[in-house]
This record gives sequence, structure tokens and C-alpha cells, in this order.
Amino acid sequence: MVYSSLLFIYGYLPVSLLVYCAAPKKHQPLILLLFSLIFCGMNGIDVLLFMVIYTLINYSAGILINRLGHDHRLSALPFAAALIFDIFAVFFFRANLFQPLREAVNIPELFFLPGISFFTLSAVGVLIDVYTGHIPAEKNIIRFSLYIMMFPKLLMGPVLRYPAFEKALDRRRVSLEEIGIGIALFVKGLAKKILAADSMYLLYSAVKSVDVREMPALTAWLGIAAYLLCLYFTLSGFSDMGNGISRCFGLRLPQSFNYPFSSTKLRFFGAKWHTQVIQWFRRYVTKPFSALSRNRIYKKLIFAAAWTLFGFWYTFSANGAVWGALIGMGILIENRFSKVKNPQITGAVYTFFTVLICSVFLSGDSITYSLRYLFAMIGGSNVLADSMTLYLIKSYIVLLLICMYASTDLFKNMMMRSGRTRLKAALGAAEPAVVLILLILCTALMSYYGSSDTLIIRL
Amino acid sequence: MKQTNRITAVLTLAFIAAVLIATVVTGAIRGNRAYANKANAAPGEVLGSIMTDSFAGREQWLRLNALIRSKAGEGLVNGVYVGKGMLLDAESSERKIPAATAELINSFVSRYDGAVYFAVIPTSSGVYSDMLPQYLLKYPENQQINRFYDQLGGSIRKIDAFNILKMLNDSYIFYRTDTKWTCYGAYCVYRTVIQKLGFIPTAYDKYTIRHITGDFKGSLCLRSRYSNVKPDIIDVYVNPEGAEVLSCRGYYNDGSSVEKQLIDERLLDTGYMYDIYLGEEAPLVKINTSVNNERKLLVIKDSIADCFIPFLIEHYSEIDVISPELIDRPIEELTDTDNYEQILFLFSIESLEDSSKFRCLAGQKG
Repeated sequence: MVYSSLLFIYGYLPVSLLVYCAAPKKHQPLILLLFSLIFCGMNGIDVLLFMVIYTLINYSAGILINRLGHDHRLSALPFAAALIFDIFAVFFFRANLFQPLREAVNIPELFFLPGISFFTLSAVGVLIDVYTGHIPAEKNIIRFSLYIMMFPKLLMGPVLRYPAFEKALDRRRVSLEEIGIGIALFVKGLAKKILAADSMYLLYSAVKSVDVREMPALTAWLGIAAYLLCLYFTLSGFSDMGNGISRCFGLRLPQSFNYPFSSTKLRFFGAKWHTQVIQWFRRYVTKPFSALSRNRIYKKLIFAAAWTLFGFWYTFSANGAVWGALIGMGILIENRFSKVKNPQITGAVYTFFTVLICSVFLSGDSITYSLRYLFAMIGGSNVLADSMTLYLIKSYIVLLLICMYASTDLFKNMMMRSGRTRLKAALGAAEPAVVLILLILCTALMSYYGSSDTLIIRL
Repeated sequence: MKQTNRITAVLTLAFIAAVLIATVVTGAIRGNRAYANKANAAPGEVLGSIMTDSFAGREQWLRLNALIRSKAGEGLVNGVYVGKGMLLDAESSERKIPAATAELINSFVSRYDGAVYFAVIPTSSGVYSDMLPQYLLKYPENQQINRFYDQLGGSIRKIDAFNILKMLNDSYIFYRTDTKWTCYGAYCVYRTVIQKLGFIPTAYDKYTIRHITGDFKGSLCLRSRYSNVKPDIIDVYVNPEGAEVLSCRGYYNDGSSVEKQLIDERLLDTGYMYDIYLGEEAPLVKINTSVNNERKLLVIKDSIADCFIPFLIEHYSEIDVISPELIDRPIEELTDTDNYEQILFLFSIESLEDSSKFRCLAGQKG
């Protein structure tokens, strides 16, 4: 079950919200956990079993590390065991290398464990924090289980540090106003996924069906732009939906995307794209390893390596690693040579095109394919455009431009600059109607298949 | 702003609650049909199917979906391409005919001594492929048919229905709202087929054409719910001077049999109007005609051939029609194939992609 499904929106969400709101405040975490377990069970009883075992192993490891805390060597044993288990689990379910092993235990080829990339980062983060003594192990199994598998953040995060999650859980406040904010955010995310990401996915699929060796240059550019926008709207859409649901349940979680395509520099892009995940890598990879030496080149290498790891986390293949490495190195080069402040438009164009070109590696099935794709983008097929290019432009240009506009903060800025004008007041008053109309449109577009679960990337 | 947020919450929650209650009521009325088919699926998938199937106002939602999708992007609605005045199956060229289909048919033909003819009928997407976006033509139907014919044994005489229909694509040979051919399309192919079978085709002007309905909304219309296309006309060709059907009887796997009609107009009101040809499906249909030539023909077919069969009654005293996908036993247990001097295979390209439908031809249980 995904958030963008009729079953979730018109069944699971209202029922869970009703039960949650009706329950006394002290029992609400338990209710939320029960619904999270049901959510996992909806994907299969084996998924539920795995999640329970996974949570118990990490919970027990945390408790053990805490108890053996006085003896660092002894506490390293449960730490290492749980760490290896977590890392093995994520590789087992995501890496192609483990396909034969998955087949050996009768896991279907297309099986996907929802959210494993996110809850692995959460689990590993809390293990490290407990082991290094930054936080004590959580003794309350309900709260710890919620941290791992709370359904509003299970699919696409955000990846929070345990204290941040604890704070959000303790400060939860359920009210009609919060539910309104949450629903508006949820519908915004739903619209991003169904109206924008799915449309861009169709365009990208159309381009991908062309043989890359004969692909006209313009088609290749269209395809990669569609891919990047689809990726952005899918990730930020699911993230918004998750945050919106959390808000309905009274939890305020941080957003993961902050209009990254409006960035005037690559490093700003890096700060606005999947913020929580990048912060995780900074906290648990870049910082501890950088602290080992004062050598500037070493620190830069660690920075680039962390980005490479971040890219690898996306795809569990060399392609993702190359994407991450290119962005990381791009930021380093930019920091070294570009001290001047870019003008808004040229800076945004430069950032967008740099990310666009790097994304060729993220989208490709192999490095060879990505190199061929890049070659096609610079006119390697000796054809600028063909009838299909024109057909795709004619069919998608309006959607493409709308998606590009929506991916920037231009509208948000316009609203902020408008101050207390009548326009702002009118738009604010129209919000309930806009939310309802978007929900109706998305429902209509999901009505045939019952859901919109096409994912350009499975995390 | 606080007030706005509260209104948003009340408005959307009220809407969601109303849809949920209406869906529960609809679901209770319809029953859990989807559940029976997905017993091994994850609970979320099963409940999702039930929810989708019984979603309140589903028909209206689907129409809105069709409206939005046909206006935005390429005009692809649930795998249906909205062309100029015609709907086409956009997923048809994703299909491939597996080699196993030809192997099963060859296995059957190797046990039979008479003449075997094979006609693969393309879909509207194959014949009007130039209307589809280029990237959707992954496995063009003409190439698929040629490859399949190459895999069939040399003793089988192949009929090129694709090019016959392609040459006539300015005429009303395919329904606008379905993947199937019209009665006129069937007649055009009949002219060639019957000559190959050794007869002179009945001239077009000998037929009286009756418009049974002008309100046929085919499978593509049903799938897309796109309503801005003209409904189709269902015709019946009758030769007043031709042979008569003396008996037409359908035989079922349980041994029972029922009297049938070549054209069963009662089915016009019960759903898929194309079903009027040959009536409700039966594994074996035996047709006896007033033709006095003692010639027997076995037609092995799928539903696309149903509007073709009436053209054959002019030429044979007995026509037996077998639908292999409906048979649960080897074909020889149903009829003695040696009794026929000719066998005609007539299949839509869509049917050939599922080789399991042909297992009964190879002496296996269906």
C-alpha cells in the first residue's frame, strides 16, 4: 500500500486518524504503532514479520550496548552485530548482487521492501549514537518501534535523529487546525506525484524506448529533463505526503526538499535536496572521518566519498555512485573557483543544467548506457530532432513548462512579496477549495488502477 | 489563516468520509468479487482491488479521468490511445507471440492428414499503426505475424489477412471503439480465405446488410471511458438466396448442449454487443446447413472469428467450431479430427500471445 492509493486516502487514513484522535493522548503512540504494524502487514505478512524482527534486533542491540557501555570493547559486539545485520538487510533487498540469494529464499524478482533505505539509515544512526554515548538507548519499545516503522515516515522518510523524533512525538498536538495544515500538505504531495511525476514519467518512458545509439539530441534532453523532474516530484511528493500525514497526527517533521532547482550554486542545491538524508551522511560519514586528519585534501576526499555513498544509496549500483561523486566533486570545484555570487537566473540555470547532466548517470541502467546517452545529448547520433521529438514536444511542452515552474520557488516568492495584498488574501481564502479540487483530480486519475505506485526510484 | 486551515480540514474530511461511507455501501452491495481472484496476494493488494472495484461513483471518476488524460499529454487513457475519431490499444505492440504457440499448433497439425489453413487477424492498432506514436510500436503486428507464420509448419497454408485489411484501411473494417474487425472487415478476408479453401466467394451485392445497432461501445471505450468518439455500428450480413442453417448447437465440457443461433440479438442488452455473433461462447458448436455437398469444415478459433462464421455456411454442409481456450481436455476427446477434410485456424493476434490456450491441441488438458 502506498500513500497515493484510494485505499489509503479513503480507507486507511481516515480510519486511523479517527481512532487516533479518539484515543487518550497517552495511548496515542500505541495506536499509531498498531496502525503502523497494520500498514506493514498490508504489504504482506512476511513484510510485517521482517519489520518486527528488524525492530526487535535493533532495540535489543541498543539496550545491550547501553548496558555494556562501561566496557567499550564488549559493547562493540552487539553494535557490530546489529550494524552488520542492518547493512546486510538493505543490501539483500536492494542490491542486484543478492538476486540469486533472494531467489533462493523464494523472494519474487520484483519484490520491494517499502522504505528499507530510510529505516536502515534511522536504525544505523541510532546504533551509532547509542554506541558513541551521544544518546541513551530507548527503553520504551513502543517509541523505538515508532521511530523505525511509523507509517507516515516509513516510505520516504524524513530520516531524523532519534532525539529529534522524540521531541516531535512528545510535542505532538492534535487539532483541527493541524489536521487542515496536514491535509493541505498531503494533497500537495499527492498532486506532485500524480499530476507532475506521473506525467513526466510517461515522457521519460517514451524517450527511454528509443535506442540510445539513434536518439536525436533534443529527444535525449527532453528525456533527461523529464527524468529529473519526475525524480524530484516523486521524492518530494512522497515526502510531503508523509509530512502531511504526520502533521494530521500532530507531529511536526522537517521537510526534505526546499526548492532545490532554484539554487544558484551547486552547494545550495546540495543543501536543499533530500536535506535529512544528506545531513545523515554528513553526521555519520563526513564528520567522523574528516576528524581523523587535518589534511585538507583528505577532508575533500571524504566529502566526495560521502556524496558518492549518498548517490550509491539511491540506486545500489555504480550509476548512483557516479552521480553522487559528480555532484560532490562539482561542489568542491565550485567552492574552489567560484567565490563570486551568481546572479539569480544564470545561477539557477547553471545549477539546473549541471544537475541535469549528472542525472544521466542516475537514470541509466549501466555506465555504458549513460555514456551513450550523454553522447546522444551532444548530438552523437547526428540528428537534432525527428518526428518523434516533435510529437513529444507537441504533447508535453505545456506539462513540462508547468512542472519546471512548479519545481522552483517563483510562486512562493511571489506570494511572500505580495505582502498583505488582496491577492494574497484571496488565494489564502481559496485554499480549501484548491485542496479539494486537487484531491478530486488526483482521485479521478487514480480511479482506474486504484493507485499511482509507479516509482522512478525505489528507496 | 487558522480559520482557513480548519475549513480545509472540515471540507476534505467530510468529502473523504462521504466517499468512504458510499464506497462501503457500494462494496457491501456488490460483494467482494476481487477477493476471490487474488487469494494469494498481499492484504493491501486485495483490499485495494476491492476498494477500486466498489469505489463510490467509479463510473463518474473514470469519465473524469478520461477527460483529463485525453486533454493532457499524449491522449493516453488507461493504455488506450485517443486518435482522430478512433480509439486504439496502445499496449498491443508490447505483446509478443511466443514460439510455444506455434509449437503446440505444429504438434496438432503433424497428427492430421487433411489441409490446414491459418489466418491471423490483426487488431485495429496493427492496421492503423501509423496513427500511433512511433515509440509505442515496439513489436509491430505485421512483423509478429510474419515471424509466427515462419514458425508454423510448411504444410500449413497461411493467409495474409494483415495486408488484405491494410489495403482497405479507408473502409469501415475495424470498430472505432474496439480492437476487433467489423463484419465488413471479416467479409473482405472471407473472400480470400474461401478461395483458398476452394470455393467462389459470395458477391457483396448478394447480401442484405442489416444494422443491428448503432450504439456499440467496444472494449476500448469501456477501458478508457472516453465518450467523445462515435459509437460503432454492428451489422449482420444475410444472403436471402443462400443456404440456411438447419441446426446450430453448442456443446459444453460437462456434456450438456444447448440450441444456439448464428446471430443472437438477445445479447444486445446484456453487455458486450459483439457477443451477438454465435451467441454465448461454447467449447464446441456444431452447425448443419442446407448445403448438400457433404463437405465438413473444422474451424478452430477465438472470439474474433464469430462474425466470420456466418459467411462460411454458404459452402459447407457441416461446420464444427472449436474454441480451444474453453476446452478442458485434449481436442481429440471432443471431436474426431480425421472426419474433416479441411481445418481452418482463425485467431486474433491477441490470443496467440497466450500459448496455454492451445495446450488442448497438443493432446494436453486445457
